[in-house]
Amino acid sequence: MATDLRISNISKIYPGCIANDNVSLQFKSGKIYALLGENGAGKSTLVKILSGIISPDNGEVFLNEKNLKLSSPLDAKKNKIGMVFQHFNLFETLSVFENLSIDATEDNKSLRVRINEILKKYNFSIDLDVPVLNLSAGQKQKVEIIRCLLRSPKVLIMDEPTSVLTEQETEELFISLKKFCDEGILIIYITHKLKEVLSLCDEVAVMRKGKVVSVSQTQNEKVETLASKMVGQKLAKIKKKINTSKNKDEIFKVKHLNFYSDDPFETNLVNLNFSLKKGECLGIAGISGNGQNELFQILSGEIITPDTSIIFRNKEIAKLNPKQRREYLMAFSPEDRISQAAVPELKIYENVALNNFKSSNFFEKGLVNERKIKEHSKKILSDFSVNTDNVELKSQFLSGGNLQKLILGRELITAPELLICYNPTWGLDVGAINYIHETLIKINDEEKSTILISTDTEELLKLSDRIAVIYKGKLSKIMPSVEVTPEKLGILMGGGSID
Amino acid sequence: MSLDISFIGVLIGSIMASSVPLILAASGELITERSGVLNLGVEGMMIIGAISGFALMVITDNLFIAIIGSMLSGVIISLIFGFLTQSLLTNHVATGLALTIFGIGLSAMLGKNFVGIPGKDFPILFSSLRESIPFFGPILFGHSIVLYFAFALPFLTNYFLKKTKLGLVVRAVGDSPVSASNQGINVILVRYCCILYGGGMCGLAGAYLSLIYTPQWIENMTAGRGWIALALVVFATWSPIKVLIGAIIFGGISILQLHMQAVGFRIPVQFLIALPYLMTIIVLVVISRDSRKIKLNTPTSLGRIFYKEK
Repeated sequence: MATDLRISNISKIYPGCIANDNVSLQFKSGKIYALLGENGAGKSTLVKILSGIISPDNGEVFLNEKNLKLSSPLDAKKNKIGMVFQHFNLFETLSVFENLSIDATEDNKSLRVRINEILKKYNFSIDLDVPVLNLSAGQKQKVEIIRCLLRSPKVLIMDEPTSVLTEQETEELFISLKKFCDEGILIIYITHKLKEVLSLCDEVAVMRKGKVVSVSQTQNEKVETLASKMVGQKLAKIKKKINTSKNKDEIFKVKHLNFYSDDPFETNLVNLNFSLKKGECLGIAGISGNGQNELFQILSGEIITPDTSIIFRNKEIAKLNPKQRREYLMAFSPEDRISQAAVPELKIYENVALNNFKSSNFFEKGLVNERKIKEHSKKILSDFSVNTDNVELKSQFLSGGNLQKLILGRELITAPELLICYNPTWGLDVGAINYIHETLIKINDEEKSTILISTDTEELLKLSDRIAVIYKGKLSKIMPSVEVTPEKLGILMGGGSID
Repeated sequence: MSLDISFIGVLIGSIMASSVPLILAASGELITERSGVLNLGVEGMMIIGAISGFALMVITDNLFIAIIGSMLSGVIISLIFGFLTQSLLTNHVATGLALTIFGIGLSAMLGKNFVGIPGKDFPILFSSLRESIPFFGPILFGHSIVLYFAFALPFLTNYFLKKTKLGLVVRAVGDSPVSASNQGINVILVRYCCILYGGGMCGLAGAYLSLIYTPQWIENMTAGRGWIALALVVFATWSPIKVLIGAIIFGGISILQLHMQAVGFRIPVQFLIALPYLMTIIVLVVISRDSRKIKLNTPTSLGRIFYKEK
């Protein structure tokens, strides 16, 4: 039976922000729909409304011309609307089967039979009796999808599903989604990745600042046209000049980096060796959870490992703590902006002062020199085009993009020789990503080096001079980025071999 | 002291009795914590249970009403905690501490008129078997019904958490309340139920002290047992069976060190008094050092405030 989902004049207003402004859309089964927009465009609010997690201030949802009252997730379930969240809604310490059985109405035996049928039908291979925390991101997503399929959904909503997947996993996902679509499930695909829209979806609705700004057939669209609709202006294309000069000085060298941990949530690192030249960007690719966290913490000095040698500017720094490394002109931008890079409850200028370097004179005789810090912070805000000039603002009120600009600014204003960043554009929108990328390229142009640990292959290919892949704590061969393709990276990231 | 076989049987029986309040309170708190709620008010709920049980016994002269009433009073006082933390979103730690202070103060006030009143004999089961079978008699028989319930409780709790649908829901809520809520589970309701259950068990634990173990009312008679129960839950890494083991070790060494003091071992008294605490921690740390298992048993969201998006 055909499914017809209609959203009519949905509005949702939060204090100080209109998340959805009179949104009306129509979807029919047999097609895959893309809902495209930057962060904060209102996509997530809309899907939360569709899945009953929040209720709209205004407007209605119709499924096959029946007016739905979606006041709780149960209502969405009853009406056969399934949802796969970006941040998985799984219980990490429970087994896969327990996760699936928690809202099942049938007994465990027949449920197991049905799950196995689904696994077979779509070629998923997942052990049902291991705890979810042992699964890879791709497998976790499959568990979420199975959970939806068990309820034979009419509508399946996917919220930014590929943000944690490898190229291969993404392809597999797309094949499955097309299968679901052929079986008559209406699919709504939420993303800010333009290429995915073009390769997967039939129709695309673009949202900007809570409003639907365009609905069109994807065959009539190109990456550029979608991007300008999404951002509302034309984006400058950025391209890095690959650093080919081979006879530059080596500035950074890591030897025998080993790390061993008892914690099942941590990854052991096995004999990592690499070096870096002046003005070079070394990209480290990999699916999250393959040792990037540990590597970043060791490079930044949060973890000190024995027997490791790290030479930076001709000095052994393996035993130095983060502060000492910063004073020796290294800079760090961790993945987690909120909890690692900045303290959200502190004001902007206070966050800037946290990174107090020797020459800053932020503190005199044990007292805080507020005037100096504020001047310095204002300079960062304007130099790195952070969207505020109020240094008294609490950092938690900055958007992800602006916070990242502030963090990068704070790190870079000390003119470091080496910047190590981990997923610097994670969760940011196109405009902010562009700005960060330009900044990173500029650093290399100024003969400063960068190590870019990232899970975004596109970003790595765009910015790195050489790329290596980390998989289960081991580093692959380091390759010049001109020889690397997304497919090659995908194979290495999944543990395969390309030779 | 004669170390004959029947004496050891009696000794083990008394060790079992002394661990009952710990088992009851810790099993209740374990369920509460498994749902992600950290209630530090165990001591307060126990002492309220103790005074209300004793007071009801004196007033009604009915032990059954006293026992039920003590559990109800635990439920009611934990309802205050539930309302504050779940509906008004106050901090779990601060609210729990306040509950303990409140409970101790309130019980002292209510108990003023009950000091010095003798308690009543609590009926014991199978008392004839206790005398007729050597060694095993005093261990297995001649206890109150509450003791038998207490020793069954960790196993029931384990079964509930591992095998039943409701237990699964409790664990899910403790793991990720946001996910649970998005799956349509009423997180607040589940947590309220777990808090009230924990309160009821703490109330019963208190009543065991004032009605059965030492049948009288003494101000502050729980004497820190609530805190021990709390610590047991954590050191047992949220496993009901390990809670039972920990409670028996604690109860056992508490009794043994009394005997050692009486005999006059040449060990400093202070060390003997500290011994139960020390040994319980050491044993529980040793038996639960598998970090993988700890991760799987620990309620990830413990003590975090959950509020529903609107």
